[in-house]
Amino acid sequence: MVDTALRAGLKSALIEQELSGGGWSYGLAATQAALEPTCLALLALRWDSNLARALGLKFLLRMQNPDGSWPAFSGDDSEGSGLTALAVIALINNGEMALQTERGVEWLLRLKGRESHWLWRWKFETTDTHVRFDPNKFGWPWLPGTCSWVIPTALSIIALKQGFVCCKPEQVSFRIRRGKEMLLDRVCPGGGWNAGNGVVYGVPLAPHLDATAIALLALGGEQSNGAIASGLDWLELRAETSSAPWSLAWSILALDAYGRPVEGLLARLCTLSDKGFLADSATLAAVILAIDCLVEGNVFKVIA
Amino acid sequence: MTRRSLLAGSVGLAAGAATAAPFLLPKYDRVRRPARSRVAIVQVDEYSERLEGALMGAFRLFALNIAGKSVLLKPNLVDFVPGVNVNTHPLLVTAAAECFRRLGAHSVTVAEGPGHQRDTQLVLVESGFQDEIAKHHIPFVDLNRDELVKIKLCANYTGLGHLFLPRTVLSHDFVVSMPKVKTHHWSGVTLSMKNMFGIVPGAKYGWPKNILHWSGIQQSILDICATVPIHFVIADGIVAMEGNGPLAGTSRPLNSIVLSDDPVAADATCARLMGFKPERIPYIYEAVKFLGNASIELIDQIAGPVMAPDIPFKVVPEFEHLRAS
Repeated sequence: MVDTALRAGLKSALIEQELSGGGWSYGLAATQAALEPTCLALLALRWDSNLARALGLKFLLRMQNPDGSWPAFSGDDSEGSGLTALAVIALINNGEMALQTERGVEWLLRLKGRESHWLWRWKFETTDTHVRFDPNKFGWPWLPGTCSWVIPTALSIIALKQGFVCCKPEQVSFRIRRGKEMLLDRVCPGGGWNAGNGVVYGVPLAPHLDATAIALLALGGEQSNGAIASGLDWLELRAETSSAPWSLAWSILALDAYGRPVEGLLARLCTLSDKGFLADSATLAAVILAIDCLVEGNVFKVIA
Repeated sequence: MTRRSLLAGSVGLAAGAATAAPFLLPKYDRVRRPARSRVAIVQVDEYSERLEGALMGAFRLFALNIAGKSVLLKPNLVDFVPGVNVNTHPLLVTAAAECFRRLGAHSVTVAEGPGHQRDTQLVLVESGFQDEIAKHHIPFVDLNRDELVKIKLCANYTGLGHLFLPRTVLSHDFVVSMPKVKTHHWSGVTLSMKNMFGIVPGAKYGWPKNILHWSGIQQSILDICATVPIHFVIADGIVAMEGNGPLAGTSRPLNSIVLSDDPVAADATCARLMGFKPERIPYIYEAVKFLGNASIELIDQIAGPVMAPDIPFKVVPEFEHLRAS
């Protein structure tokens, strides 16, 4: 049902946008490679044996920090980005189970949300209680030294699940378990996920499409529960009225992973893509991944 | 006095000075505060196509020298919440853009990096911004995904030392902060200076920009505004927000647009219009030392009176002390 010419056109547009030294920037006219568009582009091109993919992979491996993390962009400081998990996912799905991937995983296992420290946990349990969350249930932050948030946590769970398919060391199982608990703890009262907490000052926050989709992808293969079911229902309903390609693409990937119908959403995404509504190369790559998920498989689908 | 007691005294003095110095020395590199500041309050009842005329009238009072300059409009687009006025209204932004064009600006760009919502395009589309700026052919830059430059901070309230900031912001001649006048459950208020959190890129610092919270919101406001000057403020107080802002508060009509050539004066004036004591807002209290003026004696009120409301804006309990009554 997806127009083959459109798929091919989007892929060549993505390839054309690769920077001469490898890697992708967010902006279509920008020259600073960034981690997120580079990883999403490599995932979108994972079945292609082209020069762009090879150059991109080489760039990604070259970009890694000495401690195993990845910087958010070329020229970044070396403290590591919460999107390091996305680099691990990109390498795994491009068949690069090399030393660099292992070092990325090790860094992820060391990185924790700041609320996991006993002092901050005590603060959040006693004096700072305006945000409703259980600090014992922690995941991954966007930046070392800050709190756990939904998207870096969900991507880290996906990376660990994809990196350890059959036998998981205890530390990996523990972090996946804690991460899942954190996601379930932060769910919005009406279903779905916001950036972090679901309730602030007693008021429920509205969920976001991309955060909800990525959280659901991370919970893929888990025993169905109320949070997953309400998240899926909310996502399905909300995506129906969205005309933003980034959110729509992530919604399709999540709904597809749970076997929900996505044909209508795909048709709308194709129409938006055809009209040139793609804001940047990260969005372009996410759109390709969504359009390709029925044909080439869903790259974010995981088992428990 | 023996040599030993002299030595002990000197060591004690040096230790005391070293301990006290961080508290006594200024935390900013230089004083940027103007001798006097100007504020205009334009009374407007609704968002309509007539905003451009109202703004242009106020712009003339400031005699802005915009000819040939690149102008960056930084609205507050935090998220899209159906039925709730959380963002600067698109009609005010396009009216401002047209006014700057009429004053001879070389270019006008709208730029923002939403703090919570990663899908900036979704906020633009669903809040009506996309159609409005497209109609006026105004380019938009997502500051969360812009190219970044490492910048040494010109103040040191956070201890961060530097931030990576978007090239688009740094390369423009004239930065206009266009906040929505709102209360804020973590910082008391969110006005023109807090609005600059939107230039801190999500691609580096995440969604939300949690490092600014851990470093102190009031402190971060000061460091950012000392480093990236705000040249002009157009605050959307036509329909403001009170209570549990910035997302879950309730609408409160103020029927006012606040304009100023000094962000500290703008924020102090907005605070007064909300029924707050500006000097009780920590970043304003500190900013008067080096960034701008908050005292009524140092502000030339060139249009509209500053009328405190009979009932101050509602705030979360932690900020009850801000209310003037």
